[in-house]
Amino acid sequence: MSGWDTVNLPLKSQPGSSRLKTVSRTVTLGRVQPQMPTFRTIFCNDRDANFAHRYKGNSISTTKYNIFTFLPKGLYEQFRRVANLYFLMVSILSATPYSPVHPVTNMVPLSLVLLFSLIKEAFEDWQRFQNDNAINSTLVDVLQAQGWETLQWKKLQVGDIIRVKQDGFFPADILLLASTNADGVCYIETANLDGETNLKIRKGLEKTWDYSSPEKACEFKGEVQCEQPNNSLYTFSGNLVIDNQTLPLSPNQILLRGCSLKNTCFIVGAVIFTGHETKVMMNSMNVPSKRSTLERRLDKLILALFCTLFSMCLLGAMGSGMFIDRKYFYLGLRENVEDQFNPSRRFLVIILTMLTLLTLYSTIIPISLYVSIETIKFIQSSQFINKDLNMYHAETNTPASARTSNLNEELGQVEYIFSDKTGTLTRNLMEFFKCSIGGEIYGTGMTEIESGIAERIGINVQELQTSTDSVQEKGFNFYDERLLRGAWRNEPNHDACKEFFRCLAICHTVLPEGDESPQKIKYQAASPDEAALVLAAKNFGFFFYRRTPTMIYVRESHVERMGKTQDVSYEILNVLEFNSTRKRQSVVCRYPDGRLVLYCKGADTVIYERLGSGNDYLNKVTRDHLEKFGSAGLRTLCLAYRDLAPDLYESWNEKFIKAKSSLRDREKKLDEVAELIEKELILIGATAIEDKLQEGVPSCIQTLSRAGIKIWVLTGDKMETAINVAYACNLLNNEMKQFIISSETDAIREVEERGDQAEIAHFIKEDVKKQLKKCLDEASQYFCSPSGPKLGLVIDGKCLMHALDPSLRIMLLTLSLNCASVVCCRVSPLQKAQVTSLVKKGARKITLSIGDGANDVSMIQAAHIGIGISGLEGMQAVMASDFAIAQFRFLEDLLLVHGRWAYIRLCKVVMYFFYKNLAFTLTQFWFTFSTGFSGQRFYDDWFQSLYNVIFTALPVVMVGLFDKDISPSLSKKYPELYKEGVKNMFFKWRVVVLWAFFAVYQSLVFFYFISASTSTSGGRPGKMFGLWDVSTMAFTCVVVTVNLRLLMMCNSITRWHCISVGGSILVWFVFIFLYCGVMTPLDRNDNMYWVIYILMGTPYFYVTLLLVPVAALLVDFLFLGVQRWFFPYDYQIVQEMHKDEIHGTGLSGLLESKHEHTAEVARSSEISRLPREVSKHSGFAFDSPGYESFFASQFGKYVPPKAWDVARRASMKSKAKPK
Amino acid sequence: MTDPNRERYRIRETAFYLFTQQSLPACKPVLTPGWVITIFLFMGLIFIPVGLVTLRASHSVVEIVDRYDIECVPESSRIDKISYIQDDSIPKNCSRFMKVRKYMKAPINIYYQLDNYYQNHRRYVKSRSDKQLLHGRKYHDTSSCQPVELNNGQPIVPCGLIAWSLFNDSFTFIRERAELKVNRKNIAWKSDRDHKFGKNVHPFSFQNGTLIGGGKLYPKIPLSDQEDLIVWMRTSALPSFRKLYGRIEEDLDVDDVIVVNLMNNYNTYSFGGKKKLVLSTSSWLGGKNNFLGHACIIVGCSSLVLAIVFTLLHLKYRRPYGDTSYLPWNRKSLSG
Repeated sequence: MSGWDTVNLPLKSQPGSSRLKTVSRTVTLGRVQPQMPTFRTIFCNDRDANFAHRYKGNSISTTKYNIFTFLPKGLYEQFRRVANLYFLMVSILSATPYSPVHPVTNMVPLSLVLLFSLIKEAFEDWQRFQNDNAINSTLVDVLQAQGWETLQWKKLQVGDIIRVKQDGFFPADILLLASTNADGVCYIETANLDGETNLKIRKGLEKTWDYSSPEKACEFKGEVQCEQPNNSLYTFSGNLVIDNQTLPLSPNQILLRGCSLKNTCFIVGAVIFTGHETKVMMNSMNVPSKRSTLERRLDKLILALFCTLFSMCLLGAMGSGMFIDRKYFYLGLRENVEDQFNPSRRFLVIILTMLTLLTLYSTIIPISLYVSIETIKFIQSSQFINKDLNMYHAETNTPASARTSNLNEELGQVEYIFSDKTGTLTRNLMEFFKCSIGGEIYGTGMTEIESGIAERIGINVQELQTSTDSVQEKGFNFYDERLLRGAWRNEPNHDACKEFFRCLAICHTVLPEGDESPQKIKYQAASPDEAALVLAAKNFGFFFYRRTPTMIYVRESHVERMGKTQDVSYEILNVLEFNSTRKRQSVVCRYPDGRLVLYCKGADTVIYERLGSGNDYLNKVTRDHLEKFGSAGLRTLCLAYRDLAPDLYESWNEKFIKAKSSLRDREKKLDEVAELIEKELILIGATAIEDKLQEGVPSCIQTLSRAGIKIWVLTGDKMETAINVAYACNLLNNEMKQFIISSETDAIREVEERGDQAEIAHFIKEDVKKQLKKCLDEASQYFCSPSGPKLGLVIDGKCLMHALDPSLRIMLLTLSLNCASVVCCRVSPLQKAQVTSLVKKGARKITLSIGDGANDVSMIQAAHIGIGISGLEGMQAVMASDFAIAQFRFLEDLLLVHGRWAYIRLCKVVMYFFYKNLAFTLTQFWFTFSTGFSGQRFYDDWFQSLYNVIFTALPVVMVGLFDKDISPSLSKKYPELYKEGVKNMFFKWRVVVLWAFFAVYQSLVFFYFISASTSTSGGRPGKMFGLWDVSTMAFTCVVVTVNLRLLMMCNSITRWHCISVGGSILVWFVFIFLYCGVMTPLDRNDNMYWVIYILMGTPYFYVTLLLVPVAALLVDFLFLGVQRWFFPYDYQIVQEMHKDEIHGTGLSGLLESKHEHTAEVARSSEISRLPREVSKHSGFAFDSPGYESFFASQFGKYVPPKAWDVARRASMKSKAKPK
Repeated sequence: MTDPNRERYRIRETAFYLFTQQSLPACKPVLTPGWVITIFLFMGLIFIPVGLVTLRASHSVVEIVDRYDIECVPESSRIDKISYIQDDSIPKNCSRFMKVRKYMKAPINIYYQLDNYYQNHRRYVKSRSDKQLLHGRKYHDTSSCQPVELNNGQPIVPCGLIAWSLFNDSFTFIRERAELKVNRKNIAWKSDRDHKFGKNVHPFSFQNGTLIGGGKLYPKIPLSDQEDLIVWMRTSALPSFRKLYGRIEEDLDVDDVIVVNLMNNYNTYSFGGKKKLVLSTSSWLGGKNNFLGHACIIVGCSSLVLAIVFTLLHLKYRRPYGDTSYLPWNRKSLSG
C-alpha cells in the first residue's frame, strides 16, 4: 500500500490550489452552475491533490461517546433525569451540617444507579463501536499502482478509484465510471435506502466506459466538481472535467453508499463523498425516541411523591419550629447555638429543618426505579420479544425484533391500530381464484374468510380443501376439474367459456416478456390483477404470447380440434383504456375471420349499466355470484362482449380518432366516445381474484377486535379495493351499518370539471360537511343502544383532507371513534400520519401503526407505537419502527401476550416501588414526631442507602420479568382480557391510593408496634434497648415484610422469585451480622456495634419478627381475598377456570381454543351462513396507484410524480429493463 | 469425558429456552376461598397461643412504679420547682414508700423512667465522641461534641451533651430498717463496656464548666467501669424511656414496705418531664409489657373471626369459582 497510507508533503498543495482556480473557471462552462455557494473539486486518482482539501475519511462512527467524552457526556445524560438530579442535590445537601444522615446514605444509591446506567451505556456504545468497526474494516478493491489492492473501507479517500464486485455494497458515494455490462450500465438495489427491492439502473458516462481494467483506470485523470455533501438522495449536480471537456453529471451516474450491486460482474468508480458525508449518512436522522404513556403517567406519580415529600417536610419543619425551646436544657441551646436550633430565630429553624428533612426523607423518591424498569424492559424486549418462537417466521427466517425497549408496556394498552393494506394485510399477490361463466360458478377453493366462517360453524376445513396437486402457479390458485386441462369443452356452456377465455386473453394491456413458451413467459402488467387474468387465460388454454402495437397473438386450444393448439392473431383496433371514472377497459379486435368484437371488462356496476336487454336470468344469476364473491373478499370483474357490425364500427372509429386527436379535453372526449360503443353488451361472466391476504390476517383481526382494539385501514388504493380487503379481513361485513364518504360523486366531479381550485375546495368541504353531518345524525341513534349494529366508516383521501380541517375535525373524530372499523382509501403518506395523530392527540388514545413500505414511515413515526413488517420488502419501514415483525398475525402475540404482560408487570413494578419506598420512609416520618421534630434519623446510614439498591432490588425485577397471570394461549383465547390494559386498570389513581393506604398502614405497624413493645421491656437481664436496637429491629421487619409482600402480589412464583426474595432477606442478615460484628479501627461504627447480636439474644426479637410482618400483611391479605372474592378481575376468573390445567407447552390450550366458541360467536356465524337479501357489496378489482402513470410512461409521457411515487413499491414499478 | 459437559450444556440450553419462551416452571397460587380461610385459620391458630404465652410472661412480671418528681419537691417550693432544683443549697433528699403487692423474685431490676425527655433529639444524639470515649484525651477531634466540647481550652472527657446531662438521682432501698443491697454492676450491655468505653480513659474536666448539667463522675474510675454513664449514653429511641439503675438481689415478699431514700437532683421540671422509679422482676421475655401479647392475640383473634366470616360467606353466598358469567363480555352478551 505504498505511498497511499500516508499522504505526505503539504508542498504539493500548491499545484492543487492552482488547479482549483482553473477549475472554477471551467465550471461555468458546464451545464449546471451548482446552487451551493461552494462546491467541491475532486481529483480522481490523485490523493496528493485531494489532500489539500482535507476531505473526511471514509470511516464512520455512530457511537455516542468516545473515551474522553464518555464520563462527562454520559453523566450529563444521566442527570437530565429528574430523579437523578434530585438525588445529586440531596447528596450535596447531605454533606452540609444540616443533614441528619451521612452523605453516604444518598451517595451510595446514586452512584450505584449511575454506575449501572453508565455500564449499560458503555456496553451499548461498545456494541455500536464494534459494528462500526466491522463496517469500517470491510474490504474493497482500490486502484493502486496499476493494480487492484484490497483495502479496508476506512482507508478509502475521496478521489480513489475503486472496484465493487457483484452483490457487494458500495463503500461510499461513487461516481460510476465503467461497468462490465454493455453500455456502462449497472444494476443496483437500494433496499437499504428506500426499501425498494426492484433493481435500478445506473449508467456511466460514455466517455468513461473503457476504464474498467486497472491499466486503463490508472490513466484516468478526471476532475469532478460537484455540490457539497447534502442529504438529498435523489438529486446530484456536478460536472466531470476530463481532457478539458466538461461533462454534466446526473444522479444516474452516482452509486450511493448503502446500495448494493446486482446483476453486474463489477463496476469501477471514483469516490466522491466519504464517511459521514455520504448521502445515506447525512440522511440518518435521530429518530425521536418515544416515551410510553405509562412512563408519562409515572412522572405524575413521581410528582405526587414530590408533593408528598414537601408536605411531610413542611409539617416536620413547622413542628420543629414550635418544639425548639430553651427549656430543654439538656440540648444545650444557649445564646450562641447554631441557627438550626436557635429558639429565638424560629423562622430560620423551619427553613433549615426543611433541608434536613428533605435529605432524611429522600428515600420516598424511588431512585432505582428507572434503572430497574430499564433493565426489565431491556430483557423483556431482547430476550422475550426477540426470541419468541411464536413470532418467528420460519419461511423468511425472520424473528420479531424490538428496536426500542421503551415501549413494551405500551403494547399492552393499544386501542387503535392503523394498518397499511398492501404488504401488511395482503401479500400484494393477486390470484385467479374463481369465476362465473354463463351462470355457473367454477373454482372450488375457499378464501380465508370463508374457511374462517366454516371453522366457526364447526366444519372441518381440511376435508373441504381440495387436493393441492392441481395446477398451481403464482397468480393462479384455481382448481376445478370442469374447466382445467381442456375439460371445459365438455361443459354445456362451452361457447360462453370460450368467449370468457378469449376476453381474458385479449382484453388487457399486459406485455409478455421472455421466452414465448407457457412455462417461461413473464407478464409485465400495470396491476397484478391484470397479470393474474392473463395468466388464468394461459392456464385455461388461451396462451397470450406476443404483442405488437396492432396485434395480439394467442395460442388457443379449440373446441373444434381436440388436443390441438392453434396460433391465432387478433388485430387490436382500439384500446379504450381504464381510468378511475370509467372503471372499465375495452378492446375492439378483429378476428382473423373478420369478426369484429368489443371485449370489455370492468366493475359490475358499470358493466351492468351497459348490458343489452334480454338474458335477464343470466344477469341475475351472475349478480348473485358477484355478491357471493364479494362477501368472500374476492375482487370481481365482469366480462362482457359485443359483436360489432362493420359499418357501425367505422362510423364510431371516426369519432374516436377525432377525439383522440383533439387538443382540448381529450380525455373527456375519449370517455364520451367510448360511451357510444360500450353499450348493449352481452355478459359473459365474472372473474374473482383473491387479493391474497397474509396468513392468518382475518382471524388475527377478529381476535384483536374482540380485544377491544379498533382497526383502521389506511391505504393508497382506491375505495373499491379497500372495501374489498376490509371485507376479506372481516373488518366490514354486511351486518354493519356502513357510512361511505366519498369524493367520487357526480356533483363533485361536475365541479371539478369546471376546474376552479378554490371552488372545488370549497365545494368538497361543504359536501364533506354535509355528508359527515348526515352520517353523524344517523350514527348517533346507534351510539347509546348496545344492541345496535356495529358501525363502519369508509372515507377517501380527498374527503379526508377536508374532514381533517379543524372545523370538521371534531365531527370526524366523533363519528370515527364510534365506528368499529374505519377504512381510509386514497390517502397519501402524510394523511396517514395526520389520521394517526388525529386519534393520538384528539382522542388521547394509544395508537399503533403497522406498515411495510416507505409510504408508511410517517404513520409509523406518528403513532405511539410503530411496527414495521420485516422480512420481505425493504427496510425503510422497519428502520422507522419501534418493533418489527414478519407477519401481521404476529400482532396477536405481540399485543395480547407480550404487550399485556409487559403492561401488567410494569404496573406491578411501579406500584411496588411506590409502596416499598413509601412504607419505609413513613416509618421515618412517624419517628420524627417523637424526636421533637429534630430530623434525627431512625435508621443507620447504610440501612437507608442499601434499602433500595440491595435489600429490595432484585425480587421486583423478577416480578417484572417472570410474573405471568395466565398462559399465552389463554391470553389469545380470551382476548377480552386485553381490555384491562386499554382501560388502564392497573395504574389508576385508585390503585395508587390503595397502595398508599397499605404503605401508611404498614409503616404505622412497623413504627408503633416496635416502639410500643420496646418502651417498657427489653432484653435480659433487665437491660433496655437503645435507639439503634429499636431501629435495627424495625428495619429487619420492614425488609422481611416488604419482600413477603412481593410474593403476595405474584401470580406465578418461579424458583427465581423464591431465590431472590429469600436471597434479599438473607443478604440483609448477612450484612447486619458483618456490619454489627466488625469494628475496624479506621471507621468505627459505635452505634451499631453488636446490636444484632444483642437483639438476637433476646426471645423478644423473635416474637416481634413473627408478629410485625404478619400484622402488617394481614390487611393486604384480607384485601386480596375480598377483592378476588367480590370484585374479581377478568384475568382472575380465567385463572380460576383453568386452574387445574397444565400450561407447560401451551399446545393443549391452542387445540382447545379452536373448538370452543361462545354463544355469541356461534350465533354470528350462523347468521353469516344465512342467505343475504340486499346487495350491499360486491368486489371490484383493477387497481393500483401507479396504474395510470404506467401507460403514460409506456407512451413516453411524463407524469409528475405523486407524493408517494418516490416510495412506490417494487411490484408496481414496472419500467421494462432495457435489454 | 465430554459427556457431563455436554449434558450440562444441554441443561443450560433448555433452561435458557424456557426462560426466553417465558415458560419457566412456576407455581401459580390462586387465592381460592379455601386458601383464604385456611390461611386465616392457620394465623389464628398460631397467634392466639403465642399471644397467650407472651401475655402470661408479661403478667408474671411484678412491677412497682412510683412517680416521685412532684412529691419530692417540698410543698412550699412546688410553685417554682425550677428554682428549687437549681438551688444547690437546698438538700434534695426525699423518701418514698413502696408497698410490694406481689411476691417479687430476685433479681429485681431498678429502673428510673423519664418522660418527655428527648434523648433522641438530633442535636443531642450526635453530641458525643465515640473515639474519645474509647481513646480518651489521645483523641483530639471532639468537634462533634458541641456545645460541651472544651473547658478552658482543654477537652472535656467524656465530652458532649449526652454525658454532660448524665442522670444523677440516686436511690437507696431500705426494708425493715435494713438496707437492701443494690447491685449496680452489669447494668450496661457487655459490648458497650468492652468495646466502646476505654479501660484507661478517665473523666477529665467533667462538669467543671460554667454550667453544670447532670451527674458527676469519679475521675479515678475508668469510663468502662462507669456503668451509669454507659447506660445513659445508649440513647433511647423514644422520649419516654427507662434505664436500668441496678438490681436488688433479694426476693421481696408480699406486703413488704420499702423505703426509698433518693436524692432528687435531676432537673426535669424546666421542661415538664416526669421521673419515675420502677421496680420490676423479669420474665423470659423481659419486663412487663402487655403490648406484644395483646397484639398477638388481636391478630390471632381477628384472623380467626375472618376465617369464620369467610367460611359463612362461602357457605351462604358461594361464588362459583371460574364462573364465566362473571366475565364482562359474557355478561354483556347475556343481557344483550
